[in-house]
Amino acid sequence: MEKFEKLQTELYGLLAEFKIAGETARVTPLRSVQELVDTASQRGAKTLVACGSDDTFNLMLAALKGRDFTLGFIPFDENSNLANILGIESVFAGAKTIAARRIEKIDLAKIAGSYFISYLEFGVMSHNIKNESLWQSLKLLSSESKAFTIRIDDSYNVTINGLGGLAVNIRSSASQNDKIGNPTDGNLDLLILERLGKMQILTQRGNIAEGSLEKVPNTTVIKCKKIQFLEPRGSNLTMLGRVVAKFPATVEIIPQRLRMIVGKNRTF
Amino acid sequence: MEKMLDETLNEAAETVVGPSVKIQGDLNSEGNIKIEGQVSGKVKTSQSVFVIPGAKIAADVLAGNAVVGGEVQGNLKISGHLILQSTAKIIGDINCAVLRVEDGAQFSGKCNMNTGPVVNGNGKKLNHDKNEPELEPEE
Repeated sequence: MEKFEKLQTELYGLLAEFKIAGETARVTPLRSVQELVDTASQRGAKTLVACGSDDTFNLMLAALKGRDFTLGFIPFDENSNLANILGIESVFAGAKTIAARRIEKIDLAKIAGSYFISYLEFGVMSHNIKNESLWQSLKLLSSESKAFTIRIDDSYNVTINGLGGLAVNIRSSASQNDKIGNPTDGNLDLLILERLGKMQILTQRGNIAEGSLEKVPNTTVIKCKKIQFLEPRGSNLTMLGRVVAKFPATVEIIPQRLRMIVGKNRTF
Repeated sequence: MEKMLDETLNEAAETVVGPSVKIQGDLNSEGNIKIEGQVSGKVKTSQSVFVIPGAKIAADVLAGNAVVGGEVQGNLKISGHLILQSTAKIIGDINCAVLRVEDGAQFSGKCNMNTGPVVNGNGKKLNHDKNEPELEPEE
């Protein structure tokens, strides 16, 4: 809490320094993100800036419910994945970026009536591999594969015995492949990891933890606009370790739907 | 051309169908497709299709170029170059502009070369009139 207060004070100072005008409001047990977004909408706000963790931004995105805003993000979490993606490394960089107002139109992904801009995971997840101990992550990657059935673009079914995968709109700067995770191409990228041999587990663990599954041999890569996760029913779809939906679920892309304030060092 | 296609193959294909993947339905893409698994339905792209040895396709393939090292049961309609590698097994008709068949490739079906001027290996123009020999006699 002390750290939060310190960052908030720093932010107020930077807002004054960069002459950023506007109303600030803080989430409390009595005022949810949803209520703050509703209030801003009623008052005719055109730009909303979330300050906090990736979850704060995702909650704000979910609270929009189709309303039209320009969005910004100032990270209070130094390990923020979204901050890496948007090229906003710190509170200072965030305030400077908001002042510069470099706006990009990016694709918005939709799942079960909720929206996201980053990526979803299923099966053995990169998020877990990254955060677990070496031993635990090796154990996860050695686990039995599952039979996934996924329908693509209402056109064909993919059946695979795999470990898991990603449905990507944007991902963090860890990846070098600009064809995958481009939020301006109007597509989602589906990456599915096959079962790995012992040596591959050891050599590819880093790539999997970074979400760069396309670098892992035999990974399936599909560019599409709509993904229906069909089987196995009840499997989790997660965002940064938080369950957002269960199979069966549909993910769709809405091209160029979101106006986002981005930094110079963004990954797209 | 084969070298060029191989280079393209080594670059990231837009769509990669892994070895344990089975696809049922119409696989459409705007980029290169690399197939290592099984596809039944239709495969369509304006770019290149690479069927890796071990892959099995029970479908018609429509593409700009194709390199086939696996098994295809269906018709191949390729607007550019088609290369059948030594491990290829084709059961179906072929329609393409330029065809290369490596030793050992198996092909059962009809072949139709239907584009404009295409040159043979010596750089001489092939004659498409059915009443005349396929190749101009050497001088």
